[in-house]
Amino acid sequence: MNNREPKQFAEIKSEHQISAARFSHDGSVLVTAGYEPVVRRWQFDGKTLAPLPSLEGFHGYSTAIAFHPKLPHLFCADTWGQLRCCEGEKTLWQHGAAHDGWLRQIAVSPDGGRIATCGKDQFVRLWDAATGKKLAEHAAGEDVYALAFSPDGQDLAFGDMRGRLVVMDHDLKKPQRTLDASALYKLDRIQDLGGLRVLLFIDGGKTLLAAGTTPQNGATPQSVPTILHFDFASGALTRTFTHGANKEGFIHDLVQHPDGHLMAVTAGTPGSGMLFLTNPADKEPFHVNTKMANCHSLALHPDGKYFVVTSTNRDSNGNGRSLGKNGEYKTNSSPLHLFEM
Amino acid sequence: MNPLCTPGDHLLSRRAFLGGGLGALGGLISPAVAEVMRERDKQVLFVWMDGGMSQLESWDPKPDTEFGGPFRSIKTSVPGVHFCELMPKLAKQMHKLCVVRSMCTKDNAHSSGVDRIQRGDPKNRGVPYPHFGSGVAKLLGPGASGLPPYVWIKPGSGGFRAEDAGFLGPKYGSLAFGDGKPPENLLRHPDISAEQDSARNELRSMLDQRFATKREKRVVEANASVFDMAEKLMARADIFDTSRLPERDRERYGRNDFGQHMLVARQMLEAGVRFVKVTSYGWDTHGDNFNAHATMVPKFDQAFSAMLEDLEASGLLKTTLVICLSEFGRTPRINGHVGRDHWPEAWSIAMAGHGVRHGTIVGETNDKGTWVKSQPYDIGSMFHTWYRALGIDPLRTEFDNAGQPLPIAHDEMIPIKEALA
Repeated sequence: MNNREPKQFAEIKSEHQISAARFSHDGSVLVTAGYEPVVRRWQFDGKTLAPLPSLEGFHGYSTAIAFHPKLPHLFCADTWGQLRCCEGEKTLWQHGAAHDGWLRQIAVSPDGGRIATCGKDQFVRLWDAATGKKLAEHAAGEDVYALAFSPDGQDLAFGDMRGRLVVMDHDLKKPQRTLDASALYKLDRIQDLGGLRVLLFIDGGKTLLAAGTTPQNGATPQSVPTILHFDFASGALTRTFTHGANKEGFIHDLVQHPDGHLMAVTAGTPGSGMLFLTNPADKEPFHVNTKMANCHSLALHPDGKYFVVTSTNRDSNGNGRSLGKNGEYKTNSSPLHLFEM
Repeated sequence: MNPLCTPGDHLLSRRAFLGGGLGALGGLISPAVAEVMRERDKQVLFVWMDGGMSQLESWDPKPDTEFGGPFRSIKTSVPGVHFCELMPKLAKQMHKLCVVRSMCTKDNAHSSGVDRIQRGDPKNRGVPYPHFGSGVAKLLGPGASGLPPYVWIKPGSGGFRAEDAGFLGPKYGSLAFGDGKPPENLLRHPDISAEQDSARNELRSMLDQRFATKREKRVVEANASVFDMAEKLMARADIFDTSRLPERDRERYGRNDFGQHMLVARQMLEAGVRFVKVTSYGWDTHGDNFNAHATMVPKFDQAFSAMLEDLEASGLLKTTLVICLSEFGRTPRINGHVGRDHWPEAWSIAMAGHGVRHGTIVGETNDKGTWVKSQPYDIGSMFHTWYRALGIDPLRTEFDNAGQPLPIAHDEMIPIKEALA
């Protein structure tokens, strides 16, 4: 593996808090979702990001975003259950209530023919990517946080609030097996902590990674970023990778670089947070960047040369009145950090 | 119209009252009034969401606004009033509730805030004020049941918390039942006969009398009251036992500690306990606020709404003042840990039952939920309101601090008229 050290070459200010970021299939456009009912678009030229017209008309928070692997089609969703397919600013199809409430994640099948969605309404749904027609649905019985297609498109894995990892066939007809990712979950009094936040197939589908945190306490979570490695064929948990102190919290985003290494971002106690790069079999990351606070998303450019991390401004927390210079109520924002490998 | 009198109006009325010659009586101003109060079996259920429940994810949603969070709002049984979607059961019972959305209090720290809120944050008199439960225990007494007047059902350990009572003296402290269970060794040991037990108690009484000659009166009273409480509880050990209830009841309240503690609280109220506090811990969501509330608020919604239904069905809602609050709310802005921090500036308290106006929203916050837009209310106003709801005139009733008359609630505040029936 080529353990290249990334270098940050630009930081773009944003007035909003970003929870997800992804590049289009050709790398020309970056989209972001976050704590606002808007999906923002940015033109990327290899040097900087320039704002493009945003996608409006969402509600609550924009949450999930995913690009078609071959077409310039963007699938995006919000916390009120809307699911939309866009090409540029144009809406190709849309469901106002694809889920009852918070639509948490979208996965696109490797061939781009189907998309899968999951939500707080405890459903996993399968849609025709071209038309938006609902193809199938599965009542999961829990708030489903994450999902992913296997690289061959034959399986769909999803993980829920309680760390239950279910594998189903690609058309959602029958559950094949359930894997135990309950290390990512804990009940603390009446709070369900943690949950399976990110799923990622690596090694051509031989390994399935389930990421989140190892929960310790409720209310203000103090916990360690965690990645569970499952042998996909047998379902066996082969490795538990943790990194950082218990203030580091959750792995919020996890991708695999074409060179094979994993790239993850974390956010925990305000002010903490990091980007780390590690080889899947290594005990320690070969690169750790703690200069960015509370990182929530990582968008890897398709060519593997660039990536973007969204973080949170320092001093994002505070009890009671915290007013700006002009007496205004202070808000937080997410700088976009541009890196090259 | 401003529902508040000015502080000056209030001071005048109190002075005028004291000038009437009743102020020097100490304790309850009028024993006759006290007797009337005792005759009425008013009770209080005080639900404490420790750490600070988010007003935006519960009573005062601001959907689709800058700080409104991810959730939708839903209609309630009162037209025009919306709750967060996480409270569907309580939304159907809004017509029983009175929600004050304009709370603006002073303290943004747990360490001091919990005490300040539960003591009503009165003016500094150099003595610790009693918690509301202790105040009610003092003013209304144990009632006909004779059971401990101020009990506290909480997760974790139990015990007697004398400090709640402040200057009222340890007798009015809270008796905490850890995990809703009775105190250890509550029942008489099977090896001890009733006669032996009685003989032991006689001996204890005799020793107590000797003890009393050399001790402060209120310490002696507290000491004796512990034995009285134990005696009453021994006779009513059944109030801790929910296993005899229909399975449906236990399901309705939720198979979690808060739900089951609320069910024990219902039994305590049914048995006639004057003041029942139930605490739910874990609401200090500085991190992962939305997922935390998504899992916790529905459990609160389930148990609290089941309680309201049952109190109404049994008729107890007519005589029980129900209060739900925290030490503060949570910040509108979202920190980097996806959390909300402490926010005393604009938050909500919910009430139901005896003495409050049902189906009412009092006050409002601005569109973003950052500040109170209407008349703000501090906790002192709530103490006035609660005492008034219980039939105690906070302007004409005083505590006796060893001969020093002290107001039972902040003496520059008055009840919220809109909140009262």
